[in-house]
Amino acid sequence: MSFGGPRPVVEERLDREEATQLLRRLRRMLRPYRRSIALAIGVLTVQTACILAGPLLVRRGIDKGIKAGDGAVLNQSALIYVGVALLALVLGRISIMVVARVGEAFLRDLRVGVFRHLSTLGLDFFEREKTGRLVSRMTSDVDAMQELVQMGLTAFVQNILLFTGALIAILLLSWQLALCILVLVPPLVLATRWFRRRANVAYLEVRDRVGHNLATLQEGLAGVRVVQAFGQETALTSRFEETNEAQHDANVETARITVRYFPFVEYLGVIGVATIVGVGGWFTDQGIVTVGTVAAFVLYLNNLFEPVQQLGQIYNTVQSAGAALGKLFGLLDTVPSIAARPDAVELPPVGAITVSDVSFGYGASAELVLRDVSLEIAVGERLALVGPTGAGKSTLAKLIARFYDPRDGVVTFGGVDLRDASLASLRERIVVVPQEGYLFHGTIRDNVRVGRPGASDADVEDALAELGILERFKALPDGLGTEVRERGSRLSAGERQLVSLARAALADPALLILDEATSNLDPGTERAVELALEQLTDERTVIVVAHRLSTAARADRVAVVDAGRLVELGTHDELVDREGRYARLFASWSASSVRL
Amino acid sequence: MDREKELRRAGWRLVGSASRVHWGWIVTSLLAALAWTATKVTIPLLAAAAIDKGIVGNDTQALFTYVGLMIVVGAFQAVVSGLRRYGAFRLAFRVETDLRQQLFAHLQRLHFAFHDEAQTGQLMARANTDIQMVREFLMLAPLTAASLMILVAITFVMLAQSVALAVLALGALPLLNVAAARFSRKMGPISFQLQQELAELSGVVEETVSGIRVVKGFGAEELQVERLVTEADAVQGQALAASKLRSGFLPLVDFLPAIALAVILWYGGHLVIDGQMQIGQLIAFNSYILMLVWPLRMSGTMIAGASRMSASAGRVHEVLVTDPHIADPPKGGRPLPEGGGEVRFEKVSFGYHDGAAVLDGLDLHIRAGEAVALVGPTASGKSTVARLLPRFYDVDEGRVLIDGADVRTLKVSDLRGAVGIVFEDTFLFSDSVRANIAFADPEATLEQVRRAAALSGAADFIDDLPDGYETVIGEHGFSLSGGQRQRIAIARAVLADPRVLILDDATSAVDPSKEHEIRSALREVMTGRTTIIIAHRPATIALADRVILIDEGKVVAEGTHEELVATSDRYRDVLAHSGGRAPRARRS
Repeated sequence: MSFGGPRPVVEERLDREEATQLLRRLRRMLRPYRRSIALAIGVLTVQTACILAGPLLVRRGIDKGIKAGDGAVLNQSALIYVGVALLALVLGRISIMVVARVGEAFLRDLRVGVFRHLSTLGLDFFEREKTGRLVSRMTSDVDAMQELVQMGLTAFVQNILLFTGALIAILLLSWQLALCILVLVPPLVLATRWFRRRANVAYLEVRDRVGHNLATLQEGLAGVRVVQAFGQETALTSRFEETNEAQHDANVETARITVRYFPFVEYLGVIGVATIVGVGGWFTDQGIVTVGTVAAFVLYLNNLFEPVQQLGQIYNTVQSAGAALGKLFGLLDTVPSIAARPDAVELPPVGAITVSDVSFGYGASAELVLRDVSLEIAVGERLALVGPTGAGKSTLAKLIARFYDPRDGVVTFGGVDLRDASLASLRERIVVVPQEGYLFHGTIRDNVRVGRPGASDADVEDALAELGILERFKALPDGLGTEVRERGSRLSAGERQLVSLARAALADPALLILDEATSNLDPGTERAVELALEQLTDERTVIVVAHRLSTAARADRVAVVDAGRLVELGTHDELVDREGRYARLFASWSASSVRL
Repeated sequence: MDREKELRRAGWRLVGSASRVHWGWIVTSLLAALAWTATKVTIPLLAAAAIDKGIVGNDTQALFTYVGLMIVVGAFQAVVSGLRRYGAFRLAFRVETDLRQQLFAHLQRLHFAFHDEAQTGQLMARANTDIQMVREFLMLAPLTAASLMILVAITFVMLAQSVALAVLALGALPLLNVAAARFSRKMGPISFQLQQELAELSGVVEETVSGIRVVKGFGAEELQVERLVTEADAVQGQALAASKLRSGFLPLVDFLPAIALAVILWYGGHLVIDGQMQIGQLIAFNSYILMLVWPLRMSGTMIAGASRMSASAGRVHEVLVTDPHIADPPKGGRPLPEGGGEVRFEKVSFGYHDGAAVLDGLDLHIRAGEAVALVGPTASGKSTVARLLPRFYDVDEGRVLIDGADVRTLKVSDLRGAVGIVFEDTFLFSDSVRANIAFADPEATLEQVRRAAALSGAADFIDDLPDGYETVIGEHGFSLSGGQRQRIAIARAVLADPRVLILDDATSAVDPSKEHEIRSALREVMTGRTTIIIAHRPATIALADRVILIDEGKVVAEGTHEELVATSDRYRDVLAHSGGRAPRARRS
């Protein structure tokens, strides 16, 4: 159900130049569909002509049939009327379907195209942009265009055609009477513009307050246990009342605007009929027009007034679709920061890592996060990166995985500069397992398969078995087919971590980069995670970003990063004996953990 | 099915009773609708008279009189038309707001077990989309009433002028009503499905963006693109299905009236030729047909909308009639006895909704002022103990006593004022740090808030926040680390100054290197009140005077930490499995 009010629209509006550019680009994108578009416009034009023929037939029936007392002409006119109405019906169906086919195919390609482009963008882009904004590009922005395709596009074109057609028709029938009616159009257009502007502002306010109210509501529900624990039910309820009433008041404001506009338009319509009858009657008397023309004018009045009102409402949809398209183009124009060179080479199957004189800062002019770091990691070595939060250890790991390119210096794998490597071989050799086990919608099997798309079910099971956790997941009610639901709410943090490790086992990379989990795992799975990690890291080159010094202690070598520099490098024992930065970190950490 | 009918009926009753309160707006809009109908039908009659008497009859005086009357009646029509809408909108917005308020207040009172079962998303849908349905229905109801009046009035006027013509002209129009109802009914599920597909699509996008580290880490971009293509195709399919339905209906809206106009031209034309009707009347008939398009279309939509609305209202009703299980005893309950926070569980048995017993004849005694650590493996029931004391749930058997009084005999607000709990998953409101800490007592002075923060080891980092205590935190504000959130949650409980303080794994996210700072502060908090600590970390357990080991819903051992380490295998076992942070022997 809808009550005819316009929908709220994005704040952004397009200026003329932007709109021209947008249209030019849109036209290029629409080129594959040009035949269907031409067909749609042709069908719409004929259909509109059919609708506009109605009043002319009434006029003919009255003047040539009724007034002349000629029953045959009358019959004929009525019959033709039925004919054109039928034609309009059929064409109407066709035009809706043609427009929908083109529009939906275009939208589908746009969605896929934008998403594909998004997926090629570097990690820096995702760290810069807020998740919500990116998601809304793909959802509400494309939806704004979907709405136009579904509701507005056909109506938009048709209303323009109808208005223009009706205008021409009345001018041809009697320009004198037409002028009398056209006097009413400027107030109608002005009122419609006033309404569109005011309503838009008001509906934006409503949208804002609804959002606010929903946030309060959601918070009240999510925090209901805390509220009850502290006996604050009444306080929360009155807090909700404020946002709830604010929403009410914003809604009432929209009612005030609507209530002024629609009756005004209604009244203009009555004045229009009165003018046609009054002036037309007088003209009839003077022999300037016939009674049939007066009747046709009364019918055409509808075709003049309706389109203006409709266009006023569709205008907003068109505007927001345009703005949305502009934003999507903006996204499509973002250049991926990490891309393969045209002459990229495959990385060797295994190889040592060399980091030489690497400096890096997020953004071209941002402060350096890493300075002159040099490091070599031998094949099969297990290296722990240690250091306080923000020291740069995670950044170093990201450079080795080529999530970023260094500002200065080089990272090589088996002697090949990572920037010269093909992205496919890079992701195959080097795999990063992030801190928390992020799960996608789907089954456990699907989630493990993320590690190597295209792996068979047996491969997935082998990977789980390799880590000694196959039985654990098989024991679930639906086994590996268990749906993990949104964000894996059914699996514990530890189990999610296990799935994440199984992905890495399936990917079977030459170099594994592990970002150790900082949060507590549930006691039940902690042991299993540790065992799986042992298996996974066995006989593989491993870099672990360590948050627990017990992990560092187990590594072959420890690299201590502080304030962007590599300050210490050596085995755990060596570093403890050196009594430097690492030794101090280790001492304070040991002290905070009470021995059993 | 019967249940559904019952629910719909309840929904109608709910909407009825919520609307009745605002009878002023109902009367206003209905009276205005009546007046509007009268003017709407009169104007074409005036136009017909102007044509027949003025133009055809060549009476210029009559022509201008009737035209003048049209303009006057039109002005009146505009006024009542506005009033009719305004009344309906005010009624709808008022009822919407009232219902949502009522629902929120009720949800705040409902017991924990209800919220455990209900999904937040579902409740949000009740308060949002379901109530919106009611609003939209009420907005349209008076308009529909007016439309129906118009329909009846026009039918009468046309019948009065020519029965045969009226029957012929109006014959096809009910089809429009039927088609609109059918369209709306079929469109409901399709647009719902389309929304679902769109949600799935945005789910893929959201997941990919949130999990971008995994996607990039494994080079799984193409996999995600494939998933998106699947969803985009599904969206396209549903959207086309919707368009197909639309293409079947929308052209009819122009077609059926056009047929009626052709019929009027033909049959009415012959009547005029035969002298049985006047040409102005013929034109008036045309106007009437155009006037009927909207009412017929809308009433069709309303028929379909009404059943959806009543189902929505029924769902709201269902929540509203759920009784809070935890309520004050009849006559308000006895006053909280004096005391220092002595806690006693006597043969307590308890199971959550799904039935499995969590506590099984548990006996527990904690002396006033004592600090006790509850230790046990996952799902042993230790957190349940913490939830029974403030009566978040009622025991199935046995009794829970605070300072000698059964918790069920106390006023709930008194009880919860005496028991402060810090949950494992800290929930903070989108509000200032100060408001969050002063949650239990919004009147608390800044001094009190600062003191509570200091006692919880939160004062230092709060001072470093951009706006100190006025910094807005929570979902839409400044984001804090898990440990910082936990410390604010502790401060919130400390400010309430309860007799019994429960810390349910309340320092689990605090960085171990910082935990010792909190520990000394916590010692101060714990003096003078009873404290129940649920923890895994030995360092936290060490805060307690006494440790109680709970397993499978029973107390299996108690004593000091050292005693239990020395005597209980199970205790050592439990600690070993949860003490992941204690350094293990090095590999070698």
